[in-house]
Amino acid sequence: MRKAIMPLAITCLLVACQPAPQPLSLGQDVCAHCKMTIVDEQFAAELVTTKSKVFKFDAIECMMAFLKENDQSNYALYLVRDFESPKDWQDATTSSYLISKEIPSPMGGYLSAWNNEQSASKMQANKGGEVHTWAEIVTLFEE
Amino acid sequence: MFRWILTCFLIPMGQGAIWANNILVCPTCPVFSVKEGIRLADPCDTVTVDGGHFAEGNLLIDKELWLIGKNWPVLDGEGKTEIITVASNHVHIESFKIENVGTSYTEDRAAIRLREVSDFCIKNNQLKNAFFGIYSQHSKNGIIEGNTVHGEAKEEVSSGNAIHLWYCDNVKIINNWTSGHRDGIYLEFVNSSTIKGNLSEHNVRYGLHFMFSNDDNYLQNTFRNNGAGVAVMYSKRIGMHGNLFEKNWGPSAFGLLLKEIHDSEIEGNQFQENTVGIFAETSNRIVYSKNNFIQNGWAMRISGGCQNLQITSNNFIGNSFDLAVHTSGVDNKFDGNFWSDYAGYDLDHNGIGDVPHRPMKLFSHVVSQTPESMVLLRSLFIDILNFSEKVSPIFTPENVVDNQPRMKKWTVVSTVKTTNNALPNPPLPGKFLQPAMNSQEGAENHLK
Repeated sequence: MRKAIMPLAITCLLVACQPAPQPLSLGQDVCAHCKMTIVDEQFAAELVTTKSKVFKFDAIECMMAFLKENDQSNYALYLVRDFESPKDWQDATTSSYLISKEIPSPMGGYLSAWNNEQSASKMQANKGGEVHTWAEIVTLFEE
Repeated sequence: MFRWILTCFLIPMGQGAIWANNILVCPTCPVFSVKEGIRLADPCDTVTVDGGHFAEGNLLIDKELWLIGKNWPVLDGEGKTEIITVASNHVHIESFKIENVGTSYTEDRAAIRLREVSDFCIKNNQLKNAFFGIYSQHSKNGIIEGNTVHGEAKEEVSSGNAIHLWYCDNVKIINNWTSGHRDGIYLEFVNSSTIKGNLSEHNVRYGLHFMFSNDDNYLQNTFRNNGAGVAVMYSKRIGMHGNLFEKNWGPSAFGLLLKEIHDSEIEGNQFQENTVGIFAETSNRIVYSKNNFIQNGWAMRISGGCQNLQITSNNFIGNSFDLAVHTSGVDNKFDGNFWSDYAGYDLDHNGIGDVPHRPMKLFSHVVSQTPESMVLLRSLFIDILNFSEKVSPIFTPENVVDNQPRMKKWTVVSTVKTTNNALPNPPLPGKFLQPAMNSQEGAENHLK
């Protein structure tokens, strides 16, 4: 019995240390930047630090503003949700982004995230605007 | 308005005595479809709908028109479409039941949408189970009055706002009753507007929400049991008078959230039984006066970057914490308030305590840093801690002090009572609160 506890404890510790996405509880969680209650999963975003501290945001533009104001070096995960199927987190750094005046986001950035470039371009053809990559969005918000 | 009367009545008269017609629509009438009624109408006509249940999809109103309901006709969207789309100036919609707007992720469907119009009036309608209730975009000079907007988003968040204004100017939102939506009233890029006498309750997020809106007033409204009461964000020159904020409980709940708002007045409001009465961050030049803070967790939490605050002549009664100030902001004044916690004396009987009062307890500072320490509240240890800090302040900002604490309560004349008393028995059809159209007058009365 005692032999089993030690490895188990170590595994638990290791698992606990791994930065992992945390689910949203809509209507309860508050945006770390603008203090608004998060109710719209389509635009939600999340940062997880290397020490597993989680920051949630009601809009991607809030996450970008937060990144600009705070130290950028220690984040393990950058997460956003796909505009069309916003049930799960996806990696923000590989997502595509659409800035379109026809899709108002919670904090006035008109910014939505997409699973892949095709779907973003499809919506762009429909609603207008510009498609960006993560790197472009980062530089855009640093200005 | 006068110009409208002129175009609608006088000019046609001059052209050969044409009078605005009244078209009657009812299930047994020759015209039995609202859509057909609207089609038949000439500009400036009235379409009266007498009873019945109409599920005709989207109704587009593209001419100047009065659309009046009698005996509560129902316009049903069957959960599929947006119901009324107004695309003309001078449209008046009154006394309809409008129900079942479909939820959609990609478009914001509404029971009534106003699209780039002016001089509209949406009055005494009952909206039920709408995704968005009344959605006004790029519109101006309108009145939204006496409507009830009830959503069914109790827990659910896939819900729109009850009254949603986007890029609007000079709109009056008066005596509406909203519940069960995301935000009761949402204003984004809305200027010079008045929100008065509304009741907003049981909404998922905010009772009233300002974003990037300037020069607006809200008065004599009640915000109760919402996710949070009111959020005023990124706005300037907002007047907040005589409102009631109550029972906004929860870990992230506020009575009033202020974020980057400047040059505003918060006066004569009542904050009762909220987790946090007012939470302010980066908000400058704000006057808080004649407010009642009663039995809140925190009466006020003032976070970083707040300068030139004037917190004077308020009553702080029975709050767990009166103030938590985390800003070294300059020119903040806390004088002349009544604090139920004040333990000083008044030997010269001038009504003002002889000993300055320090409203910020050390423990409120500790709790802000480590929320878990809340379990120690009311313990002897904390009392000793607070007392020692009171005697020689080290951690709490030194300038958070009331040099003239009042011995007696201020009498705050709250006008909420007079206008909103009827609201526990919510407005019934045909029994709406009497509108007070001149909001300026109301504000002045209040200030007396």
